[in-house]
Parts: sequence; C-alpha cells; structure tokens
Amino acid sequence: MSTIHLQNLVKKFGDFTALKTMDLAIADGEFMALLGPSGCGKSTTMNMIAGMEEPTSGKILFGERDMAGVPMGRRGVGFVFQNYAIFTHMSVRQNLAYGPKMRGAPKAEIDRRVGAIAEMLQLTPLLDRQADRLSVNILQRVAIGRSAIMEPAIFLLDEPLSNVDAAFRAVMRTELKHLQRQFRQTMVYVTHDQLEAMTMADRIAVMDHGVLQQVGTPLEVYNNPANVFVARFIGAPGMNLLKGRPAESDRGLVIDLGPLGATPPLPVEIADAARRMRGEVFYGFRPEQVRLTEGGRGLSMPVSFVERIGARTIVHLGEGEIAVKAVFDNDVGLAIGQTAVVAPAAEAVRVFDAASGLALRAG
Amino acid sequence: MQASKAASVLPDEGARLGFRLTLPAQILVLFIAVFPLLMQLYISLTDWSPLSGTGWWNAWSMWNSFANYTDLAADARFWSALKRTAIVMIVCVPAEFLLGLALATLFADEFPGKRIFYSILLMPMMVVPAVAGYMFFMLFQSGGPVNDILSAMSGVPVTIAWLSDPTLALIAVMVADIWQWTPLMFLILLAGLVGVPEDQIKAATLLGANPWQRFVTIVLPKMKTIIIIALAIRVIENFKIFDTLYIMTGGGPGVATETISVYIYKLTTQDLIWGYVAAIALAILIVLSIAAVFAMKRMARVREVAA
Repeated sequence: MSTIHLQNLVKKFGDFTALKTMDLAIADGEFMALLGPSGCGKSTTMNMIAGMEEPTSGKILFGERDMAGVPMGRRGVGFVFQNYAIFTHMSVRQNLAYGPKMRGAPKAEIDRRVGAIAEMLQLTPLLDRQADRLSVNILQRVAIGRSAIMEPAIFLLDEPLSNVDAAFRAVMRTELKHLQRQFRQTMVYVTHDQLEAMTMADRIAVMDHGVLQQVGTPLEVYNNPANVFVARFIGAPGMNLLKGRPAESDRGLVIDLGPLGATPPLPVEIADAARRMRGEVFYGFRPEQVRLTEGGRGLSMPVSFVERIGARTIVHLGEGEIAVKAVFDNDVGLAIGQTAVVAPAAEAVRVFDAASGLALRAG
Repeated sequence: MQASKAASVLPDEGARLGFRLTLPAQILVLFIAVFPLLMQLYISLTDWSPLSGTGWWNAWSMWNSFANYTDLAADARFWSALKRTAIVMIVCVPAEFLLGLALATLFADEFPGKRIFYSILLMPMMVVPAVAGYMFFMLFQSGGPVNDILSAMSGVPVTIAWLSDPTLALIAVMVADIWQWTPLMFLILLAGLVGVPEDQIKAATLLGANPWQRFVTIVLPKMKTIIIIALAIRVIENFKIFDTLYIMTGGGPGVATETISVYIYKLTTQDLIWGYVAAIALAILIVLSIAAVFAMKRMARVREVAA
C-alpha cells in the first residue's frame, strides 16, 4: 500500500498540452476516481503513474519515493486495462502465474500464490480454462487477480467497465467495490462515467482539458461543484445555470435573470459573497431540487419537452440560453406548451462568477 | 397438402438450376485441374515419349505398369537431387525466417527513414527470378563484385571461382534465394507482429517481463499461426526452386546444384522420357499436397479466429 503524490505534473505531446500542472494527493488505501470527458487528460495521468509515459515536468511520488526513471515493470503497480488485456493464448492459471513466473519465483511458491488468489476471486474451478472463452466478469476477475498476485502497492484501472453492457455494469461495479474492500489497496480508477465514479470512489478528481477542476468526495462534488464545468458535468441532467446580475430588493439580494424576472432571495451566506460581485453571475440549482409552486413566487417558464424515464420525469423548460431542466415524480401533470412556475429549494442554490466560472463560497 | 408439395419440389428445382448454372465453371475446373492430373497418371504408367511417333492417347500401347515408379525408387540421381533440394530448404527457409523475423521486429518500431528502408527491403521480391539469377551469376564471377569486396576487405586479391566449385556453387545459389525471399518472410511476419495486441505486451511489461520474456511468452505464441503459414509457403516454394538457380549454375558444376526441378527439367527437355517425368512429378505433387493441406488447415483456422 502506498500514497501517491502528483506534484506540478505536466505532459506535453509536441505542441499539445495534455496535462497542465496537476497536483493531487491520494491517500493510502483510497479509491480515487479520475473523472472527465474524453481528452481531459485522465488517461495520460494514469499512464504516467503507471510509467507508460514520462512526464514532461513535475514529480510522481509513491510514498516518499520519486518514480522518475523507474521503468513500468518495477513500480509495483497493478494495471487493469480497458479490455483487460488478458493473455488469450494461455489458461486462467497461466495468466495468474505470469508475473511471479517472469520474476523467477520457485514453482511451489507460484502454485501456492495462484491457489490463494484464485480462491479469493472464486476462480478456482476455472483455473484450467482457456482465457479466450471467458465471460466479461470473469475476465475482470482474472485481470485483477493477475495484477493482485504481484501484491502491488497501487492498483490502476483504466475504464474497465466501458465495454460492458449497461445491465451488467451495476453487477460489475458492486463486484469491483467489493474487491477493493478485500484488497484495501490504493486504487486509481479512470472513467468518463460519473455513475461509476459516484458509486465506487472515496474521492473524485474531476478533470477537463488537462486541468484538474475539483477533488472531493462524491457528495461534495455533487453538492458543491467548484466551478461551472463540474456543475454541468456532474449529475444527470447536470446543474441548471441561468445567467443574471445580482440586484438588491426589499427581501434581500436576488439575481435579476432578465426576461425571467428576479429569483427568490439568495440565502444569506451566498448573498454576502454575491454582493461583492461586479459582473454577471450564474444562478445554479440541481434539477432534482426544484418544486412546482402553484401561483407562488418562482420562475415562470413554458414546458418545451417532457421526458418520461420511468421512475421520474424530466421536464425541459424554456429554450436556448434560458433553459432549465427539472426532475419530478413520474406522474407530474405537465405537457408541452403549458407554463410551469418552478422554484429551487433555497438551500440548493449555488452562484458562480460568470467570468471565471468559479463558485462563490460563503464567507 | 399442395403447399407441402410445392415446398418439397422447390429446393430440388433450385439445386437442378444451380447445377446447370455452375456447369460451365465445373467443366472448366475439370479441364484445368482434374484432366491434366489424370493424363499425368496415365502417362506415368507408360513408356510414352514425344519421339515415340504416336499421340499420348495411344500411350497404352507402351504400357509398363509401375516400372517408372520402381525405376524412380532406384534412381540415385533422383534421390541425390531430392537430398540437395532438402539441404537448400533446410538452410534457406530457416535463414529467411530468422532474418525476416529480425527485420520485422526492427520495423515494428519507429525509426527515421523507416519508409525508405521498407521500400528498399521489399525490392528483391519484386525482381523477376530470372533477372535475379543473372544478377547473382554476375556477382559470383571470379572477377565479379563479390570477390572484389572480399579482396578489398582482406587486402589480398581473391579470385574464387564460386560457381565452378560444387560446395561454393550451392552456397551462392542459397545466398540468391535468401536475398530474394527474405522480404516475403519479412512482410508476412511484420503483418503478424503488428497484429499482436499492444496492451497485452504492456500488461506483460507491467507484470515485470523483460523484452526477451515478452517476445517468447506473448509475441511468438500470438504469431504462431502466421509463422506456420509463412514457413509453409516458403517450404513449398523453396522445394520448387528453379529459375534463379538454373540461370546461375544450370544445375552444375556436374550435378552439384541439381535440385528436383532442375532434374525434371533436364529429363523433360534433354532425355525426353516423359512417362518417367510424369511419375516423378506425380510423386512430388503428392508430397507437396500433404504440406499444402496442412497449411490450408492453418489458414482456415486463422479465418475462423478473425471472424
């Protein structure tokens, strides 16, 4: 087990900067998800941790040890590839035994370690199966077992669930989380799927365009996005953001949303920060934290689309720049063309500086 | 009732129509493949020759049962030609394979000028074998470039008569074959090498395998099928080695470089004993067919895996 420290990590490919000064501390035994859209630099970061690529500048420390120049075979890193990269020409046993065998471990010891790891991963009855005819969840277990047998200090997983169909993904997620608890190893998990990150990770590092946007527990990232990107990226659908200007009213500070009128007064903590703002801001709230107000105060908007997804119904309100999504119970009585008056829960309101994109924090 | 009757008639109709449609092609195949084979078998059981003054269809009047085949078993020149062919094969095919594999490994990575070297490397394969024969005939003359280079390197004038010495002539012929056909081996093996999944190689590296271990445990097993195909192609082709060799040495000096093909060629054009030639050719065809079937089976498995 080991901590990982990334310090001022930069990676350039020619003129293209894949990663701009990344700083990240991953605790011992922590499950850290690197989350972001494709091209955000998450896989590059992972490859540098594994030693497949050398950083252009900056440091990678495992514990106290600087990894610069340490080749990938000597880093004590277990890597689970996107497609598992199982050696298909070998049996499950040969796959599991590969690492120790290459390092010249004695036969008796290899047998003992393979036996132990197979027992732990419930692969014992499959040991003599050829690896090219295994189902995907078994492939995942073989891939993890093959790395785990080396007792790596760190486990890296590169989108291991992206080739699995949606129905099966939930099963695999549970299994993976269970395995992590068993091994209690530091794990770094690269994914573009927020559901995977949310359900499995202890903390999530959200990345975009080679820049680390926010690091926090799943709930922190969801509840208090650090900036507009994270607000939009996390959540399905993402956070609603409406552009406006802070304005004083007799009830307290509100945001003037132009044609939509003024918002309900901001909670006092944010109001103080918003008061100091000169330019435009984004008024943000989660679609799940919206309620219909019958004739009350709120944002009056036309219904443009109704998406019924079973358990709940997503109602699209407004169009273009001035659009909001709201998640209601599945029997909500709204239809296209009607006007709905909606209000976000006061504690759910977040305000962002429109110029910098950063969230305004209380205090 | 009617419906079931129609259903039982239709496939039959279809089969009959299909047969009629493919009939021309079938007859063509019959004339290209089956007919010459039967003709060869027929002639191989006779003493017929183009000088016998009668058409091949009358060869039955010179029927000799299996005399050609019993002669073949006792023909020392045939057996030594076969042995020589085998020696050429045992030297050339592994040499071409190892050189091709080494070059393919080199070309799997990037290096400056790769594309130019790649084109140059493939050129020998494009040269007409007869032309290659003349090239090597010139190169190995006693006053030729090979001796010139050896002279320059050793500092003593070298005048080896390569093509007049029984052993050296065989070596020269093998050098020409290796020069011309290593590129094919290289090309096939490179295709195989590029097809080895990169992430499996990375996975092996992360598990601590060194380059040699990776090559032996991942790359070679993944290339197994393609290696077998490449070897089978070259074994079959090499067994038939003729044009380059015939132009360089004509099978000589004496019979020192006489391979099976050269021997058959001489029997056909000089001795004109075609009944015997047919017997030899048929015997060789059977041996080669066994090798070909083996190779085809492998290829079918590759397609299966790819599908």
